[in-house]
Amino acid sequence: MKTFLIPAAALMLCVTAASAWAAPGTVLRNEKLYSQPSANAKLAGTVAKGASVNIHAKQGGWLRVTSGKTTGWIRLLSVRAGAGGLGGAGLGDVVGAATTRSDPSRVVAVAGLRGLNDEDLKQAKFNADELGRLEALKVTASQARSHAGQSGLVAVNVPALPEPKPAQPASSWESN
Amino acid sequence: MKMKLIVLAVSLVAFSGGAAGIDFGKLLEERINQELNKDKPKQPAPAEQPAPTPGQAPAAAQSAAAPPPPAKQKIDARQLGFALFGDYSLEEETRIGRQISGNLLGAVPLVRDDKLQRYVNLVGNWVALQSGRKDVTWHFGVLDTEDINAFAAPGGYIFVTKGLYRRLNNEAELAGVLAHEIAHVTQKHHLKVLKQSSLIGALGQAASNKAKDSDQVVQNLIGNGAEIMARGLDKNAEFQADRVGIVYAARAGYTPWGLPEVLQDMAGLPAKDSRTSLLLKTHPHPADRLAALGDAVGGRLDTVRGKEVADRFYRIR
Repeated sequence: MKTFLIPAAALMLCVTAASAWAAPGTVLRNEKLYSQPSANAKLAGTVAKGASVNIHAKQGGWLRVTSGKTTGWIRLLSVRAGAGGLGGAGLGDVVGAATTRSDPSRVVAVAGLRGLNDEDLKQAKFNADELGRLEALKVTASQARSHAGQSGLVAVNVPALPEPKPAQPASSWESN
Repeated sequence: MKMKLIVLAVSLVAFSGGAAGIDFGKLLEERINQELNKDKPKQPAPAEQPAPTPGQAPAAAQSAAAPPPPAKQKIDARQLGFALFGDYSLEEETRIGRQISGNLLGAVPLVRDDKLQRYVNLVGNWVALQSGRKDVTWHFGVLDTEDINAFAAPGGYIFVTKGLYRRLNNEAELAGVLAHEIAHVTQKHHLKVLKQSSLIGALGQAASNKAKDSDQVVQNLIGNGAEIMARGLDKNAEFQADRVGIVYAARAGYTPWGLPEVLQDMAGLPAKDSRTSLLLKTHPHPADRLAALGDAVGGRLDTVRGKEVADRFYRIR
């Protein structure tokens, strides 16, 4: 009886931990949810672009998510992590600003780890010693092949992805 | 006069060929307008033949371009300067890459951990072997900064910051990040930008053919220090590097989902984090990159089975 209880308790713990882990995400396109991480699996439901989901697990190119009352597997590239909403900067900025205001400890932590900026790069002076150090680290193709082989990596044939169709035919001049 | 400059501009764009010419259009247009405004008071009436006044940039450029008056719309490519037409040679490309990399390393040195650096070179070279570009010698380095970013320079120079490296969970994610940068090199994204700016420079400078030492020519081409790394590339170049990179990583036997996992991680970071400010300034938002990559991938990688290689992933001390 005892020997049965311990694994059962451990299992219970695992299940609780797994279900407790749920990260917020936002759906990037109208998408299907499948009952298994495969496009051949039974359909579990659909989610609309912009919908909020909870991410429970990931497997290969798939995420297990809950949207409302529906739980299923969705393609990894159809969801963005975080509750920042759809767009890039827009909502994310608001969330970021809110975080900064409400949590001063976080600001300090982040400010301590200063990032690179334009001025650092613009003022940079050529450093021949560091470049020499970099070039001395060079490895040969056969060393790289052998290192890959040690972990069982084998080159496979994967066709290139198609170039996207031009979204707006309007102005290809207006890049940047 | 205005018409003539536009004709000159259009023929320059046409000769420079392909995608570079198209992206370049707006910049060139701006520069032409600048030149026009600068010289306006001195210019003769539009219909007149331009007088060969030395010292005025557009006229000088044109006279350099077409010495015999009858062929005023034909341009002698060789007189316009540094590798304007056709591709940069491998030697030129490597010189440009060394100069940019040496400058970048002047701003931030390498992490003093040879095991780490060697590991990244082994993984990077294995991925680069799948890129089909065999003529360059690849160099990979981890930069000693908490900034979260990665850089590529022409000629096969690739950098990832310690701040980004720390966030990686396995070798497939490292391979994905490096593959994106390798794609910038194989697609010659930075060279295209440089070609555009050198073409602009040539409009004003073609006539002043002073002999300069070659390092200075390269430095003039890339601007101040490593600022080219702060300017970033066109967003379509970034989307393309994601599309091409994910395939390189998959060809190397890794799971294709390494790069998307890293993008997911970035998408979840707070927007005001100073460690990602340069990354976000020079790249589309990670959420937009995921969406664009999703459009390209769809179900195409469903049958690709690759490895994560988490066990031997080198952790920074």
